[in-house]
Amino acid sequence: MRLCTGLVMAHALGALACAPEASDDRPFVAAITSDPGQLNTAITTNGGVHTAAGVLYDGLVELDLDLNPVPALARSWEIENDGALYRFHLRRDVRWHDGKPFTAADVKFTFDELLLKFHSRTRASLAPALERIDTPDAFTVEFVLRRPYAPLLQQLNVEEAPIMPRHVFVTGDPLRNSANTAPVGTGPYRFVSYTSGSEIRYAANETYFRGAPAIANVVLRVIPDPAVQVIALEAGEVDWLFGVPGPERNRLRQDRRFVVEQSPGYSGGSNCVSTLAFNLESPLFNDVRVRRAVAHAIDRHQVLERVLFGEGRVADAPISSGIRFAHASGLSLPDLDTAAASRLLSEAGWQRRANNVRTSGSVRGVRDGTPLTIRFVTMPGQTQYGDLLRAQLRVVGIDLRITTMESAVFSETVFKARDFDTAIISYCNGTDPEIGVRRQYVSSSIGPVPFSNAAAYSNSEMDSLFDAAASAIVVEKRTSLYRRIQELAVRDQPYVWLAETLSTRAHSARCTGFTISPHFVATARCRD
Amino acid sequence: MAFSIRGSESAELAPAALLPGAGWSPLRTMLKRPTGRAGLVLLTLLIVVGAVAPLLTGIDPAAVTGPSLAAPSVAHIMGTDAIGRDLFSGIIFGTRSSLLIAISVGLVSGICGLAIGMSAGFFGGAADDILMHVTEAFQVLPRFFLVAIVIALFGPGLDRLIIILGLTSWPVLARVVRGEVLATKQLDYVLASVALGASRFHVFRYVLVPQVLPGALVLVGLIMGQVLLIEASLGFIGLGDPNTVTWGILAGRAQGLFRAGWWLAVFPGIAITSGVLAFNLTADALSSFVQGGRDTAWPSSST
Amino acid sequence: MYGIHDLAALRCYSALSRLTNRFVVRRLIQAVPTVLGIVLLGFVLVHAAPGDPVLALAGENGDAAYYEFMRERFGLDRSLPEQLLTYFTRVASGDMGVSYVQGRSTVALIAERVPATLLLTTSALTIAVLVSIPLGALAARRPHGARDVGINATVLVIYSAPSFWLAQLAILLIALKLGIVPVQGMTTAGSAASGIGHILDVARHLALPAIVLSLQELAALVRLTRSGLIDELHRDHIRTARAKGLSESRVLLRHALPRAALPAITVIGARAGQLIAGTVVIEIVFGWPGIGRLMLTSIQTRDTPLLLTLFMTIALTVVLANLITDLIHGILDPRIRVG
Repeated sequence: MRLCTGLVMAHALGALACAPEASDDRPFVAAITSDPGQLNTAITTNGGVHTAAGVLYDGLVELDLDLNPVPALARSWEIENDGALYRFHLRRDVRWHDGKPFTAADVKFTFDELLLKFHSRTRASLAPALERIDTPDAFTVEFVLRRPYAPLLQQLNVEEAPIMPRHVFVTGDPLRNSANTAPVGTGPYRFVSYTSGSEIRYAANETYFRGAPAIANVVLRVIPDPAVQVIALEAGEVDWLFGVPGPERNRLRQDRRFVVEQSPGYSGGSNCVSTLAFNLESPLFNDVRVRRAVAHAIDRHQVLERVLFGEGRVADAPISSGIRFAHASGLSLPDLDTAAASRLLSEAGWQRRANNVRTSGSVRGVRDGTPLTIRFVTMPGQTQYGDLLRAQLRVVGIDLRITTMESAVFSETVFKARDFDTAIISYCNGTDPEIGVRRQYVSSSIGPVPFSNAAAYSNSEMDSLFDAAASAIVVEKRTSLYRRIQELAVRDQPYVWLAETLSTRAHSARCTGFTISPHFVATARCRD
Repeated sequence: MAFSIRGSESAELAPAALLPGAGWSPLRTMLKRPTGRAGLVLLTLLIVVGAVAPLLTGIDPAAVTGPSLAAPSVAHIMGTDAIGRDLFSGIIFGTRSSLLIAISVGLVSGICGLAIGMSAGFFGGAADDILMHVTEAFQVLPRFFLVAIVIALFGPGLDRLIIILGLTSWPVLARVVRGEVLATKQLDYVLASVALGASRFHVFRYVLVPQVLPGALVLVGLIMGQVLLIEASLGFIGLGDPNTVTWGILAGRAQGLFRAGWWLAVFPGIAITSGVLAFNLTADALSSFVQGGRDTAWPSSST
Repeated sequence: MYGIHDLAALRCYSALSRLTNRFVVRRLIQAVPTVLGIVLLGFVLVHAAPGDPVLALAGENGDAAYYEFMRERFGLDRSLPEQLLTYFTRVASGDMGVSYVQGRSTVALIAERVPATLLLTTSALTIAVLVSIPLGALAARRPHGARDVGINATVLVIYSAPSFWLAQLAILLIALKLGIVPVQGMTTAGSAASGIGHILDVARHLALPAIVLSLQELAALVRLTRSGLIDELHRDHIRTARAKGLSESRVLLRHALPRAALPAITVIGARAGQLIAGTVVIEIVFGWPGIGRLMLTSIQTRDTPLLLTLFMTIALTVVLANLITDLIHGILDPRIRVG
């Protein structure tokens, strides 16, 4: 009793010793916007599934704050044959949540049977380069590649390549495996329960190879309405938000009960540039003057301020400034200049009477007298871009018709049917231009693949520059090649690079120590 | 539906029976009630606002004319949205498109419902059976689901919204009209006039149409109110057409912003409520007038 | 959510209520083509629409080989009539298919969500009935009196307001400002409560969404109760009861109300479909884990098997609700005899 009183007086030092352990019972609650449906991240690139289940798994490597690879399931690695062979030495102390040991067979199985079949991003980027995966012993894995492949290590983290237990998936159809809704992983948290449409519960993995996380219980709570998520945070029902609607950010920031954090994102979903794509196959946009005119008509600062609520920066090059070695500085991207826009449009044959929409006069492929109406397609979350661009383009006599489409329809319309004039696409550049930039410009990625070359931009010089940059080993060489690539892109203007976006997270101030990785909560602790 | 409806029961088919009503002098009855007065005044007001929208505001509702998220002020009496568009002009021009949607759907469903209900009741027999089965099938799948699915799958647009809502709103109307026709056919004076050699067309034109139309109008009025609500819900779940300004789209834009800008949620909400209320109150008042007219001979001038 | 006018249709149902068992069976048989027709409509709609489930599944990336591989897995590489035939053959043998996205039986997925929606809708209806009877009775006492007009106007204004708007206002004013009830969800996140504790927890979460949803039903029920009572109070047996010197409230409760409640029961049954549709918006705002949200997700991801099973579930629910209503009506009203 005396001791206790003393401790209470020395509150700041260690009242915890006396406090009941009730605080540990209170779970850490994170809000997610949609029900993930299933929790196997190796068979999908669906962001909702990765957000909900990332803490259950590990990759061979982890990415640090600067997105450089650091050890995870692999404790070390060697790169041989000029980058055509990667040898990983695995940790020997890792166990699956069900107690079975983790071995090289799990890694090989995960790549061969899950990732390279069902994880569309890893399949698309790695499969063409990969010859085979060998397991010389139970704790060594070798990736044998067909050619030198620089970005491999960036693609082996938990987001791009989560490792799954072979013994669970070895029989039956992996897409229908019951472990997809009652998963087994190696990650810092293990699965407890999943209530469809409501919540998923996790508990700390006491035997995690990096040590058990401090927060014992984590609940991922489905709250579809983003405004209600914020209210739930303020009401204390939720501790963590993966996103915050623009105008709410400042309010939360001023409230000392909460912390708002921003980052350029993680791994494949990082360094995103929100981009207006022109369909170069449309007769409206095969004239570069029209493309440049549109670029001059757009006030990108207003886009940043009113659509993104100031979160991010106006793009100053085609490649995100987050990839430092590849980002070209000092390029002159067209900025707001309505006079220049009007002049270019008139030169291109689009004439204007009074304040009306421009009409064509001897524009190739367009019947004379056709109004300059642009079909703009977007996904439901991004109609704000359309609203603002419509208002801005109207000033120079361009009429924007917005069509909102669910992502499935959007992908089909833009990338397969190519039935659009312009579209808003967030191109996440990732950690290397090979991951997220190449697909945007090379002629081989024109086709039905979502988030590929939406413009259908085809330039053999561009193609060979990318090929040269991919196999160049020296960084300086790559830097100069990517600079040339960006100059070419600015000249041909197949896209308007609007802004580099950030991802925002908010959490209750009583908890600290989060990371931007899918393991966000594993390193955090909470006080009362 | 191989059962007959006797005249006495079919009186219950009239929607008017569900609504408050007594008295019979038509327009006076409507205007005597405060609710009827309010409905007519509100509806007239909204129609006038919609008709002369450009005279009421010089601001283009789609243009950026102010700062982002400005609270209501002299310059923007209902504030601005995130992009900087004026909400007041949005509401004013929204009145036009929202009423356009409601009235168009009212017309489409009114025509479908009357045509199907009257044919079923008038011709009876196999035609009646088939038509009523179709009607029932249309009633089984909730309208909102169907509309949400079609808009989500095929993309938003006023044209398809009007068509789908019009094509799915008529079953109730058809059933009521059919019932009314069946009941009217059994009335003594109709039977007598048929016995005296009145042509089918004569019965149809001078007896059935005047008897059925007022009740149908009441229902169409209620349908139009519901259409406004459905349009609003679609806007809320992100299925509105961004190229037009409707009350539903304005209300939908407030999602995620209603704490940062209460005006974005409050004013469109009030606009929708007043629009729905206008249709409901008017239909309500109209129904008491219909009910009053039932016992006396329906004035033919009203058709 | 939508429909005072549905009430009118109910009058048709009152005629329908002259039922025999044979009639029940016949109506169930008649419902089969209706339900099948609706599933066929859904099938054609989903397949005619742009948007490819495989593209939705692929997310950000993928290649031609991946699409082909997935299409083959789901049988999407075959012709539409072939797919339709396969689908209906499976359905006929009781196999409703497996969700493209979740890899689980669609029936199981829906079954998990049904209790939440059922709880929400039945609670909303119960609240609406419990509130509307006294309100209706109050209004019926003096038709066209101040109270009558006031009640009528109030329920009509509430009925005219969009439900998502009322829900947002309710969350802001009641849940956040007053802090009486939770803002979202069906249970406290991570709650380990069971038994009574669990029931109380769910009840606290249920209160707000159920009340908001009930508001849509209130207007119709109040008006029905009111007009039913006004009609009844003029009937002979009521005059007799009054002449016997029974108190006015006793006359109202014992003699008039039971009969006047009949149309209300019919309304409840006939509005089942609309009520389920109305929950979509409420489920989104309050984060309620029901089938309305499942429906929206399945549209977004082009999860055809799930969407079609949902179609069928809703159609069956509506058919059954109509039938049950007719039966209850037949039991409660002895005047209704076999026609």
